[in-house]
This record gives sequence, structure tokens and C-alpha cells, in this order.
Amino acid sequence: MDARDQTRSAAIEIDDLHVELGGIEILSGVNARIGRGEITALIGPNGAGKTTLLLAMLGMIPYRGRIVIARDNGLLRVSYLPQRFEFDRGLPVRVMDFLCLSQQRLPLFVVSRKQKRAKALAALGEVEAEHLRSRRLGALSGGELQRVMLASALLEDPTVLLLDEPASAVDRTGEELFMGLVRRLHQERRLTVVMVSHDLSMVTRLASQVICLNRRVLSAGKTAEVLNKSSLSSCFGEDKGLLLHDHPWDAELSCAREPEDGAGPGRSGED
Amino acid sequence: MELIFRLIDVVLPFSFAEPLFMKRALLAVLLVAPLCAAMGVMVVNFRMAFFSDAISHSAFTGVALGILFGVDPRITLIVFGVLIGLGIISVRLRSSLSVDTVIGVFFSFAVALGIVIISARKSLTTDLHSYLYGDVLTVSDPELLGMAILFMACAAFLLFFFNQLFLIGINEQQATAQGIKVRALEYAYALLLALVVTVSIRVIGLLLITAMLVVPAAAGRNLAGSVRAMFWWAIAAGLGSGVIGLVATFYWDSATGATIILIACLAFLASQAYASLKK
Repeated sequence: MDARDQTRSAAIEIDDLHVELGGIEILSGVNARIGRGEITALIGPNGAGKTTLLLAMLGMIPYRGRIVIARDNGLLRVSYLPQRFEFDRGLPVRVMDFLCLSQQRLPLFVVSRKQKRAKALAALGEVEAEHLRSRRLGALSGGELQRVMLASALLEDPTVLLLDEPASAVDRTGEELFMGLVRRLHQERRLTVVMVSHDLSMVTRLASQVICLNRRVLSAGKTAEVLNKSSLSSCFGEDKGLLLHDHPWDAELSCAREPEDGAGPGRSGED
Repeated sequence: MELIFRLIDVVLPFSFAEPLFMKRALLAVLLVAPLCAAMGVMVVNFRMAFFSDAISHSAFTGVALGILFGVDPRITLIVFGVLIGLGIISVRLRSSLSVDTVIGVFFSFAVALGIVIISARKSLTTDLHSYLYGDVLTVSDPELLGMAILFMACAAFLLFFFNQLFLIGINEQQATAQGIKVRALEYAYALLLALVVTVSIRVIGLLLITAMLVVPAAAGRNLAGSVRAMFWWAIAAGLGSGVIGLVATFYWDSATGATIILIACLAFLASQAYASLKK
């Protein structure tokens, strides 16, 4: 197997996955293969089971079937950015506190270790958020919180990054900034990224692979192959043709393409 | 103990610290006040005040059961309180009901059982007063030893798990995603909290013990700008109101638990004023 084939191997393999919550089958016989070092978008209508699939990958909900996440150099580290990070905004927790809490065993009321603070600061630097280090977590805007959460995820040195609706809590500028960060981190850290998104503009520009989900996998493949009107109609329903015409990404959809930055499988041949 | 009592004579050469019962009371306050404040930080973060109330009110039934069956009520109140605490967590994790509903059911069960026992045996009523209001002035050496052991157990627990507990308090789902054993820690914390509540009832009384957990931590939260500051301000507020309250009791001849809580509430009001000014 040459280097390119190796990097094209699956980071996550899902076989005949069934998830039932509260007596309702959310996912039914899902089979999917998520390429190593690729950005894969999970798209589908509301209630399609996209977040459920991410939670199953994290082992946070019970499921039947098989999910295998490949080790990367013997390491298996999956980080997760939730769609909504709800917390008590009145808590006196600074951004650095928050990042150090997950980094050190010694309680924060005793000491905040210099080495851990330096690592946290470096992670904030990676997401262009060093200036937020002394801010209270509850005082952050949606976009700022998202970047701090991304820094928190990076502290775990992930091999796989799961993003749930990263565009949902930010404005257009924040979305652009976040997309740029994900693209850069994906390249620099050779991350496998799985991203749930309703924003097809983001999917088109960021993802190299798309899985269209509605309780089961309706279509999967390269972004340009999956993001076409017939495939989207089968995923979202025929009437969603309206959706295509009403949104600014319509034009981009018609020319769905591979990411220009080479973030697709081709570049990871050097891995 | 003699050595500690002599040390108190040297450090505190005041009339209130002379009687032996005051020395014991002071030691009890020095153990229980920071313990409650430290555990209270998580009670505030986890919004567990109602949980603590359910445990403390179950003590009422624990004492009644002890007297009824001829077992030391100081033991039965702890055992019954711990069982109620673990019961609440266990049902909460297995049920789709909201946490306050689950606690409400356990709270009602514990109090109803206590009232049934006490109303059937009227002679029990007089024995309950010291548990309702606390009676730190009659605390014994073995009880002090028990408080010291619990203090060390909680200190060790917080030393190892404070950060993880705080992350659970911020967002449970994210803590789970980060690989924190949320359930095991919740059980361990609930067990220790039940022990802290039931042991501290001797000092503060079952009616007000939740305040000893919540009020210093709330004051700490008002004053603090960071996790570390919140913890130490809570300890300072708990310890300060504990010692001042105990000394005031000596001169006012008032109930110690209530006096301590009154001072703590004043500290909270001051912290609230500071927080409002800061805004």
C-alpha cells in the first residue's frame, strides 16, 4: 500500500449502525466510511440523526452495530465541539481557567501550572484568540466561545475532530473566520474532521467528502458528486427546491467543487 | 486532644475560648465551616441546594428511626441521609424526570416517614430539638474525630477531582465527551455531600445546614473573578462567619448554627453589594 492509499484508509468505519432513543429509531442501518485526513460533512434535514451519529461516534449514547475509529500512530483522540455549549454564564470562570481545568489534575484552587498555562495559551494562539485569555467565559460572544471551544478541543491533541453545526451560533464574519481556522488546523495537524452542517456554502468550501443522512445514508461521496439537485432532493425532499433558490449559496451549489486549498484526499498523500 | 486544647489557650487567650466545650465547639467549627464552604462551591455550580435540603431533612427521620430502634441516632441519621442521597442520584440517572421532581419525591418520603414515626411516638419530639437547631456546644471528642476524618476525605477527593467536577458543573455533556467519568464522580460527590450534610447537622442544625453550603459559596461567587478566587472566598466566608458566629453565641447566648448562618448571610449581602457596584 503506497502512502496515498494509506492516507485514504478509513479513519472511522460505521457498519449497520442502529440508534434508538425513547422508542424511536433515530438511525437505521447506517453504513459509512470516513476517510483519514479528510473533512467530511454530514448533511441532512432536521431530525435526520446527524448529531446522534456524532454522539454515537463519541460513545455517548447506546447503539447497535459497529463503529471503529482507527488509531493514528497508536493514538485515538476524538475531540468534539457541540452545536450549543450551554453553561451558567454567571460562573466566575476565565478562559484560561476553563482551558486549564481539563489539562491538569492538581486543583485550580491550589495552582495553575505554568506548563499547562503555556499550552493553553498556545492553543488560544492557534485559534487567534490569545486576547481572550483573561475574559470570563460567560462574557464571550458566540464566535469567541466557539474559538475557545476549538482551542479546548485542540488541547486534547485530537486525531479526529467532530464539529456539530459550527456555523449555527455565529454571524457571517465569524463563520468565515472559523472556516479558515478549521481549514488551517486540518492542514497543519492532519486532522480528520467530521462536520455536521446545514450551511451548504460552508460544506462546499470546506468538505472534501459529504454524507447525506436521513436516518440512513442516502448518498455519500465527493462533495461535487453528492451536492447536486437530485441528490439533495432525495435527502431533503423534493419541495426543498425552494431552499436552493432562496439562499445565497445556490450559486455555489451549482458549481460545487473540491476545496481549492488542496484539503482533500490528494494532499494527504504526504502523511 | 490535650495538646490541641493547650494550643488554643495560647493562640486565643480570651474568655470565650476558656471553657472546654467552647474549645471543642471551635474545633468543630474550624472543621465543618471550610468543609461545607468547599463542598458548597460545587453545590452552587451543580444547583444542588435542593438535594442538600432533602438530605438534611431526612436526618429528622434518621434520628427518629435511631431512637425507635434503640440505635445511636447520630449514626442512623448519617446512614439514612446517605441512603437518601444515593437513592436520589440513582433514580435521577435512570429516569427521564427532572432532578427537582426526583428530589421532591425523596424529600417528601423522608419527611413523611419521620412525621409518621414521631406522631406515633410523641415522646420522641423532645429529642429532636438539638438536631433541628444544632448543638455544637455538646460535641464530643469522637464526633470531632469523625469530622476530622471526613475533612481529610473531602480534601483528598477535591484535590484529585475538583477540576473534573468543575468541568461537569460547567457542561456535563462536554465533560463526558472529554472522557470524564461523570456518573462515578456524581455518585462519589453525592455520597460525600450526604456525609458532610449529616455530620454537620450537629453544628448547624438540619434546618439551616444547606445555608452553610450555599451562602459562603454564593458570597465567594459574587466576589470572585476566577475559579481559584471563588473557592478561597467561599472558604474565607464560611470560616469567618463560623468563628465570628461561635464567638457571638458565647456572648449573646443564642443558637450557634443560626448565629453562624446570620453572619454568613450578612457576608453574602456585602458581597452582593460589591458585585452590584462592580457592574
